[in-house]
Amino acid sequence: MDHAQLGEHFLFLDPSQNVAGTRCGRWSVAVIFQPLSSEEVARHRCCAAGKSKRRCAPILGSLERGLGKSQGVNGFLHSHQTGLRNFLMSQKGRDYVLGICDFSLEWRVSHSTSNSIPDPVTTRRCSLPKTMQNQDGVQVDGEVESATSVPTPEFDEWANFGDQDIMQQHSAIRAEEAEKIPFLGDKEPLSSLAAEYQSGSAILLEKIKVLGEQYAAIRRTRGDGNCFFRSFMFSYLEHILESQDQSEVDRIKANVEQCRKTLQSLGYADFTFEDFFALFLEQLDSVLQGNEASISHDELILRSRDQSVSDYVVMFFRFVTSGEIRKRAEFFEPFILGLTNATVEQFCKSSVEPMGEESDHVHITALSDALGVPIRVVYLDRSSCDTGGVSVNHHDFVPAGSDLPNASGGSEKVSPFITLLYRPGHYDILYPK
Amino acid sequence: MQASRARLFKEYKEVQREKVADPDIQLVCDDSNIFKWTALIKGPSETPFEGGVFQLAFAVPEQYPLQPPQVRFLTKIFHPNVHFKTGEICLDILKNAWSPAWTLQSVCRAIIALMAHPEPDSPLNCDSGNLLRSGDLRGYYSMARMYTKLAAMPKKG
Repeated sequence: MDHAQLGEHFLFLDPSQNVAGTRCGRWSVAVIFQPLSSEEVARHRCCAAGKSKRRCAPILGSLERGLGKSQGVNGFLHSHQTGLRNFLMSQKGRDYVLGICDFSLEWRVSHSTSNSIPDPVTTRRCSLPKTMQNQDGVQVDGEVESATSVPTPEFDEWANFGDQDIMQQHSAIRAEEAEKIPFLGDKEPLSSLAAEYQSGSAILLEKIKVLGEQYAAIRRTRGDGNCFFRSFMFSYLEHILESQDQSEVDRIKANVEQCRKTLQSLGYADFTFEDFFALFLEQLDSVLQGNEASISHDELILRSRDQSVSDYVVMFFRFVTSGEIRKRAEFFEPFILGLTNATVEQFCKSSVEPMGEESDHVHITALSDALGVPIRVVYLDRSSCDTGGVSVNHHDFVPAGSDLPNASGGSEKVSPFITLLYRPGHYDILYPK
Repeated sequence: MQASRARLFKEYKEVQREKVADPDIQLVCDDSNIFKWTALIKGPSETPFEGGVFQLAFAVPEQYPLQPPQVRFLTKIFHPNVHFKTGEICLDILKNAWSPAWTLQSVCRAIIALMAHPEPDSPLNCDSGNLLRSGDLRGYYSMARMYTKLAAMPKKG
């Protein structure tokens, strides 16, 4: 056989993939772009001898049409079923229509599958060249037939269904759900929580009663994966608005500057995060009274319900959280490994930075540490204590380094001014009595 | 709207500055519309796309950078994660894993990385995905190479 030329295509049975003891192997079409040595050609049992001189150009149009139509079915290529005579494919252990140009093509095996070829005009059955006949003798079995069934038209419809459409549908569903609950709800008495569980678990109702001794009200947030950050945002800004604590504002601003430096040192380009930082600092300034940009409590609620403000602040927190986790990667790594199987960096990229990714212990710890804000999380779940009595657990996230001398035992001293209610999968804001 | 415009303008300036730094990516903003960008990226070496130049089209939504840009290949490419007809790209950061930490420039880099490391288990091009999944590297290489030669390389006389 001649030296293979550029642009030739070959049908070959890959000897390394031949399934021992069967007629089957994996067939492929190769289009040659680098001339192969004749040994290599022989090794692949190229059998296009004499007919392989054709350039591939004439078949490209039909290849393309075939590819466009085909949507692998059961893992097989079915391009041939569009009726193109020249098409490929290979699948371990299966016989396929293979064909190029004058080869026409075949069902190498089976005499019985001819009616599954949709277009008898363009698909001509013919024998493969001798050398391509399988080496183990032809045996026909039913399996082959089923493997080469004709795809139904529905696959064509699926082919027109892109990710873009799916995403659009997702966001439409989200928008519809969003109508029902604002980013931030109104302050409700705790009894509204009890009403929710009226016919539910007795343990929960008991716990809500216990909660009622310490807490007066709840403010709900939308359950869209950003609820922790939105709760934290409003709760913190509301605290500043009510306390007018200038020293706390100065302190957190210093921490925010630190976070900015952290992100810079981690290689984030300034312009990717600066807008989010600026918007948060703007909110911070506006809740302090006495300057022309000052806002009222009602205005704060309105802003917290405004998507562009709320989302930008959430994103600010996500950047801060991600930066803190990556800065102290060796500290967070064991916790992250416990949650997922990802590296710290993968975790930040996939579970911290994207909007809508839910927050876990790791996120809260990191945010609390980075901003130096203690957070109390009250857990409302169905667990009950051994003693039989019901108590409501809470956990205080105390920023690392906030009381250095006795960091281990001294957490009692810090009393968080942010209290969140955690029910599995969701955070709301709690108001103490 | 205003925020996305401001951000895109910063990216524009950044692109001008980085032009020399990344010779594999040439990102260009539409003259009249800052929400439309195109990019020319070089096929990564040691892949069937080597030597090819691929054109990408970016449509940036008004909620950018909270929402990802829509990106598709304008140049025909045979790759498991690119729709053969529409050029749509299946890449997590363009969908649910998007965050504003990405930029148009870094999206281009991610796409180049995707070209070198296809994910055949979530194919938009099933033919291409099936070739890889069945271990037919040679078949995959041949097809991908063919389309690179045809669509992404200058025609020879």
